[in-house]
Amino acid sequence: MAHHMRFAVAVMLMMTSLLALADNAILVRDAWVREAPPGAPVLAAYFTLENPGSKADKLVAVRSADFAKIEIHATEIRAGVARMIALDALPIPPHAVVKLAPGGHHLMLHRPRRPPAVGMTIKLELRFSSGANLTVAAPVRRAETGAAHHH
Amino acid sequence: MASRKALISVTLVAALGIILVLGYLAGRTFRDPARATTVAGMTVLEPASPLPEFRLHDQNNQVFDRARLQGKWSYVFFGYTHCPDICPTTLVVLRDAQKIAGGREQGVQYIFVSVDPDRDNAATLKNYLPYFHPEFIGATGSQGELMRLTRALGAYYETGKTRGGSPATAPGVALPPPSLESYEVHHSAAIFLIDPEARLRALFAGPHDAARLVQGLQRLKGG
Repeated sequence: MAHHMRFAVAVMLMMTSLLALADNAILVRDAWVREAPPGAPVLAAYFTLENPGSKADKLVAVRSADFAKIEIHATEIRAGVARMIALDALPIPPHAVVKLAPGGHHLMLHRPRRPPAVGMTIKLELRFSSGANLTVAAPVRRAETGAAHHH
Repeated sequence: MASRKALISVTLVAALGIILVLGYLAGRTFRDPARATTVAGMTVLEPASPLPEFRLHDQNNQVFDRARLQGKWSYVFFGYTHCPDICPTTLVVLRDAQKIAGGREQGVQYIFVSVDPDRDNAATLKNYLPYFHPEFIGATGSQGELMRLTRALGAYYETGKTRGGSPATAPGVALPPPSLESYEVHHSAAIFLIDPEARLRALFAGPHDAARLVQGLQRLKGG
């Protein structure tokens, strides 16, 4: 019993210190990869980034073993013309939530090493300017509506 | 004598000026009677703007020309299959619109025109489009024919690199692709609505919404 107690306390202490460490870490939620229509050699991935800390951060690079190349993109509509802009980094201001969603910011995934099908999960390795790295599991999903309502 | 001559020239110049101004005003009134009103994201052209002849081909390698727009309402969207975000997003909206309209909308067709003929052909489109809807029409063609159609609609496209390259400056002018995979295509985000007489009747600027596309067409049909 005492043994269990000690273990529980140790776990709680560890969790507390992890939480303290994580205070400024970026959170990634609702990651998903849009299933590509047949023959389309590029896909998009979306997620929500949250910066709970008071320091600005940036998403600077994303890698995945499943794709030859990944770029951070913005879809911009200016004067009625849609353009994809490759970004060097995606700023995540302090206490801000940055959403990657259809028709806006997205990751552009080039040349899948295996065709991503619904049900598969893609591992994305995110690198931030703070030096932090995060691995995110993004399920491949079919986009059911044009709007960015995905739960 | 000299002062009379001067007076005559001044009068002539003034008269000429008045004629030019009146002519300009009259020309503007008669030449440009088209009005465009925007309601709920839909800009309606009054009167509708007739399209010229053009010649593309569809995903079955059949000729896709102006005649194919006659007798039906057509939603037209320009894009390309190497487009991971805005094109599939818009095609899903069109699919939703088709679903909402359901069986009620018999004489309506949905057309995806690829403005990237270097990478998209009939086979590419035939493979790509049924994912969204089996009845969607895909079309593409030469740069010249694509330009004819896009210019008539007031649509725009441009092929080039977004980074590290010099993008094309003239509308519809394609740069030699740096490599078949790495270039992107800028294109109008609008969905164009063509009436059964092959005239541009309205356009939706976006962001697109399926219900709005359907309601817009119903409003036009309702008179």
